[in-house]
Amino acid sequence: MKVQEAPNPLAEGLHDYRVADPAVMVIFGATGDLSGRKLLPALYNLAKQRSLPAGFAVVGAAMNELTDQAFRQLAGQKIHQYSRTQPIDDRVLAAFLDQLFYVKVDFSKLDDFRALAQRVRELDNTNHIPGNRIFYCATPPPTYQTIAVQLQAAGLNTGEGFHRVVVEKPFGYDLKSARDLTQTLQKVFAEDSVFRIDHYLGKETVQNILAFRFANSIFEPVWNTNLIDSVQITVAEDIGIENRGAYYDHAGAMRDIIQNHGLQLVTLTAMEPPLAFEANAVRDEKVKVLRAIRPLLGEDIEQSTVRGQYVRGWVLGEQVPGYREEKNVAPDSQTETFAALRLFIDNWRWAGVPFYIRAGKRLPKRVTEIRIQFKRPPHLTFGRDAMKEVDPNAITLRIQPEEGISLKFGAKVPSAGLRIRSVTMDFQYQTSFLVEAPEAYERLLLDCMIGDPTLFTRADEVEAAWQLIDPIEESWRNSRPPLETYPAGTWGPPSAAKLLQADGREWHRP
Amino acid sequence: MSTTVRPGTETAWHGEDVTIREVLDALEAIRARFACSEAGDDEHVHPRNCVMTLISVTPSEADELSAEQTTLLIGREHPAQAIVIREEAPVRGHKLDARIGTEVQRPQMGCPTECEIITIHVGGQAADHLAELLDPLLVSGVPTYLWWLGTPPFGKKELLDALRICDGLVVDSARFEEPHRSFHGLSRLLKVAHHRLGLADMQWSRLRPWRETIAQFFTPADRRKFLSGIAEVGVDYAGEGRGNRIAAALVTGWMAAALGWKLKRAAAGPGGVVVAHYEAGARSVEVAFRSVQKDHLAPGELSAIRIAGASQGTTFRLTVQHDPERRAAQAEPAYRTLHPTEGEDDAGFELAERRAEWHRDVLHENIESLHHTATGDPPGESRPKRPVVLSRDRRRPDSQRVLLTMIEIGEGAPLRHVQQLDREDEVALLLDLLSTGTHDEVFNRSLAEASALVDRF
Repeated sequence: MKVQEAPNPLAEGLHDYRVADPAVMVIFGATGDLSGRKLLPALYNLAKQRSLPAGFAVVGAAMNELTDQAFRQLAGQKIHQYSRTQPIDDRVLAAFLDQLFYVKVDFSKLDDFRALAQRVRELDNTNHIPGNRIFYCATPPPTYQTIAVQLQAAGLNTGEGFHRVVVEKPFGYDLKSARDLTQTLQKVFAEDSVFRIDHYLGKETVQNILAFRFANSIFEPVWNTNLIDSVQITVAEDIGIENRGAYYDHAGAMRDIIQNHGLQLVTLTAMEPPLAFEANAVRDEKVKVLRAIRPLLGEDIEQSTVRGQYVRGWVLGEQVPGYREEKNVAPDSQTETFAALRLFIDNWRWAGVPFYIRAGKRLPKRVTEIRIQFKRPPHLTFGRDAMKEVDPNAITLRIQPEEGISLKFGAKVPSAGLRIRSVTMDFQYQTSFLVEAPEAYERLLLDCMIGDPTLFTRADEVEAAWQLIDPIEESWRNSRPPLETYPAGTWGPPSAAKLLQADGREWHRP
Repeated sequence: MSTTVRPGTETAWHGEDVTIREVLDALEAIRARFACSEAGDDEHVHPRNCVMTLISVTPSEADELSAEQTTLLIGREHPAQAIVIREEAPVRGHKLDARIGTEVQRPQMGCPTECEIITIHVGGQAADHLAELLDPLLVSGVPTYLWWLGTPPFGKKELLDALRICDGLVVDSARFEEPHRSFHGLSRLLKVAHHRLGLADMQWSRLRPWRETIAQFFTPADRRKFLSGIAEVGVDYAGEGRGNRIAAALVTGWMAAALGWKLKRAAAGPGGVVVAHYEAGARSVEVAFRSVQKDHLAPGELSAIRIAGASQGTTFRLTVQHDPERRAAQAEPAYRTLHPTEGEDDAGFELAERRAEWHRDVLHENIESLHHTATGDPPGESRPKRPVVLSRDRRRPDSQRVLLTMIEIGEGAPLRHVQQLDREDEVALLLDLLSTGTHDEVFNRSLAEASALVDRF
């Protein structure tokens, strides 16, 4: 049984004080895009905030032949280019780079992993590190299993201290591959040492969904089928697939966004209050929601899902090519770049409330938001004419951009008569707090170092999500429903609008 | 009241010999004008966004300018209503002078906001009734913070009255005129002010990197045992005398309160070192306070902390040093900005330059000895009553400063760790304090312990 550590009394009251034990973080794929754009800048910013403990070291591991010095130079360039905080502080950067090391690792060669182990042991001695290790797989998903197996073979997953592994979404390609991945990882690491990153959960505004719901007493009593008409979740991107064609053409919007980000937003919106903001309590409630979602099977899939692919069009004033014209995309690709679905959560709270989710590329703007649409008043006290300009009440949780929350309600228009018009009460994250929000990766990396998995996805969550998605993917492979096209810069194919029109509703324009 | 030379803001209204009612009317008109001008033809006016009322009480014109500048910078990020108050010599029958400055912010995301700074000059008895004066101006439903630049009148009714309308009081104990006495006053405020009042000290905020670094050392599970093995603590500070030992006392008070140490006695030791003896269970902990000559540090600033001891046969030593290798860059001294040129010609500039140099030579460089000679107070005991010139110079906004940590455990080689210190200008410190709502139990406990320690000095 794990003995609970007594808290450090000197740490009390240091707000944002979340200091990890000294550890070695090994980044596989350290010369790649994720490492350069996100991980190294995030670690630098943690160092700048004095959140990295004395002795913390990073070992970059990749196929390239690099010296420590060359890796430091590369890391310095990436940090200069991508750090959230600018200008770069030279002294912090120099101190941070001093603790960066590099080992060439070919994932297929056990000897390379043994050399890595040797390097890590040396750092333990010089940096007073009690054997703590974090292995970050900033590599393509198919390599995760190979890396895990090699780590085990090289004895890097055992010994004193903690041993954690971090993997990026997508966690598998379908239910079977997700289970395979879980099994492999769990053979090497305990489940509470496997950190599956969905960086959406690191966003302050996503975490604020829970604060909004459970730290306030006025919203929760109305947060149910009695007063809520429907929920709309939009995850829209204005960009195309950029240089991810090879990956995206095998994934599509459903696997890339809805299976993870989309369903995470559903669970946070719909979950019951957890007993505490503690890893398993939160994740238990999220899994309950996923399991309560009515599976889409057979004809339901044709009626409740829409898939589309963008063709040439105009986005933000520029003409952009169609999906099939993108690099590394098959000219006859059937991959969806837009997906929309209607889901129902079969539990007491949400019975009969549709959750509409849409996600897509090359939509008119980049926006992620959750809109809680309330029912109309049961009786029109002021008459139909006075109310004709009034929309139903709605709470919009804006995840990005313009992070914030707004409440729409009716108010009397100043005049002699009685006319009601919709007005908005608005909260803006950007201007309401006296502190700057950290980047999602900063938060998640620190959580991982501390060993707090609350904002990471658990194996059963991943599996429950794939259980919902697999039948839809299978039906889509059989062209049920058929793939539609939409011009880039529009809100998806016509069937997306029809999906709601059939229910007497329409998409909110973000 | 001057309506020009105000950095950043545009004077939207000013009035001399006016009442608060007139100020309120002017505010209402300014807000309505802004709301209507920003709303499009087909939309309702945007809601006014305001996260707090920040009242600054300023003892001098230089402080007033500083407060206006600071609150403006805060307002650019976080829409607030700022009120800057300065007491002036009373003139019979004269009410108050007021100026409303505004600056419109147009964030890329979100609605435009208008930052308001209301500057009020008040004289006579009205200045003793700040609560009554300011209450009508406060924004409903958001917290009100009182930032007192200089030394608040501790122990006086006017301060307690002013605090009635506030959720938090922010001071800077590094700027107290009589640090030793005023620090006691600050500590006593915990007992006499209303229970909702939060108390915040910029000095405490400056200590945060030190506290974090010390706490970090003891965070790993295998080092937690060292907490009960601490035997010696050494605190080096710049400047002489007990008045310059406030920050050192505060950081010691923090450790004592957190670790349950009981103060037994404090005595002068050899070489001008003062030693405090604490009882920690069955052990004793010795804390040595040493004055050091560090030109690049302001008097009272911490220079180094050393913590040493042993636990279960393993020795440890943590040394945290403030910017040990390099001298901090000199910021442009504030006195330069205090001297108007009296004309935009060479003669005017030269005159201003000469006055500035006199200020620097006479009041700044020789301040310690001049003040000591003038008052007869021992070094560090007191500071000039109106630190017009020195107020900004005491803290140097050098963003390149670092803390160097040396860790020695057992026979292992020492581990060196460099961490950057945050910006220490008033904007950064205020933001740090206000973001936590000024209610900090750890500060309150540390203040009480530090006050007891300062008593023994």
